[in-house]
Amino acid sequence: MDAGVIPGTFLLLLSLLVLLVVLILRGRKGPIPSVRPLPAFQDIRTEAGYAAESGGAVHIALGNGGLYGEDSVTSLAGLQVVESLADIAVSYGAPPIITVGDPTLLPLAQDVLRRAYERNGAAESYDPGKVRFVAPSPVAYAAGAANLVATGKVTANVTTGAFGHEVSLLADAGARRDLPQLAAAADPAAIGALYPTTDRLAVGEELYAAGAQMTDERRYLTSLVAQDILRLILILLMLGSAVIGFMGR
Amino acid sequence: MSSLIKRWIPTLLFTVLPGLVVLAGYLLPSNQTLVDFRHELVEWAVIVAAFAFLLGVFNILRVHGRQVFRRRQGWFYSLVLLFAMVAAATPPTTQAILEVVRPDSPVHKTLEDATSTLFNYTISPLGASLAALLVFTLTLAAFRLLRTRRSAGTVFFLLVVALVLLGTTPLIGLEWLADVRDWIVNVPGMAGMRGLLLGVALGTIITALRVFLTIERPYSES
Repeated sequence: MDAGVIPGTFLLLLSLLVLLVVLILRGRKGPIPSVRPLPAFQDIRTEAGYAAESGGAVHIALGNGGLYGEDSVTSLAGLQVVESLADIAVSYGAPPIITVGDPTLLPLAQDVLRRAYERNGAAESYDPGKVRFVAPSPVAYAAGAANLVATGKVTANVTTGAFGHEVSLLADAGARRDLPQLAAAADPAAIGALYPTTDRLAVGEELYAAGAQMTDERRYLTSLVAQDILRLILILLMLGSAVIGFMGR
Repeated sequence: MSSLIKRWIPTLLFTVLPGLVVLAGYLLPSNQTLVDFRHELVEWAVIVAAFAFLLGVFNILRVHGRQVFRRRQGWFYSLVLLFAMVAAATPPTTQAILEVVRPDSPVHKTLEDATSTLFNYTISPLGASLAALLVFTLTLAAFRLLRTRRSAGTVFFLLVVALVLLGTTPLIGLEWLADVRDWIVNVPGMAGMRGLLLGVALGTIITALRVFLTIERPYSES
């Protein structure tokens, strides 16, 4: 391991931690911070409502990330979308169908759905079979989930989580049925594959803003502000180092 | 008090503390105790993941078993899937059991061969065929894009895709396309990719910190 990497990572983590704590403490009172709206998440709850009203189910694909490994945080970000959409879908009596490609995510996604049922006073109607483990390999998962979108009673397709270019199979199944599609991906290969299929695409870091955009909760919004501030600092640092490097040449 | 015992103590004990120990073990590699703790916790995570896999298998049995019993649309494919799952799991499971019960059994080699045959001649080719389908779905998506979103951005996107694809193909007389492709990939492509990955890294760190600070608790009611 490069010795310079660890102090750099430590410094970045520490500065983010301090910034986040300061913003949370300051943001407990006063107006809710405003963030720039992302087209991918605008009106998605309303659309999920329409989809549920039409009698079908919203399919939410969480991809092949699990709770163990480098994609764990991406999967958690995908779960925020599930948490936000599950409530509205359950309240319409049309629970979403959630597919996962890593079994470690299965109990967590089931728990998120179960809590949505409990919040809506319909705990006895909860069906754990609405969360499905499809396959552990990325291509097999995408093909299995695509089959569900193509043949099941799905009226909207939401793709959010850890995907690669195989997500094209899933998006294609949705496009063939002309379903409203929302996608959020962090992997450049998945972004490239999703771009032609939907204009409601959250790219890269926007995936992690899903919770803030869809719930407007203060806890998510303050952390998003911290992220924006740090990004600005990083950009300035990079520009500064480039200028210094250029002048020193 | 009840909230402290039911909510906060388990959260701090099973989420925040292990997370901090693993992170500290990574950031302070000179501290051997922390590094050992980190390895131990990561091994526990592997064991939990193995049990989660069993849950996944039961989930498949439940969903597709119900499909077959209720004769829903596509029940036959579910039956094939269940049959394939049992067929693929039988040789390695039997081998694992025999290794404990009868370590000197001559059947080991046969079972090992059966497992590798399944992987090499069934699962791998099937995976490769599915991956090959991506070429068609991506091309279809590009055509669909022209139909549904006619804009300068779309034309630019497709032009770049075409240039990069042609630049990868060894066309006689059009060798200069390879240079154009290299420039697209290494200059604007790489710059965009770096910006994207930097944003992803920041988003990842912020989400992880939210879990550490218990601002976000995906495992419990907020």
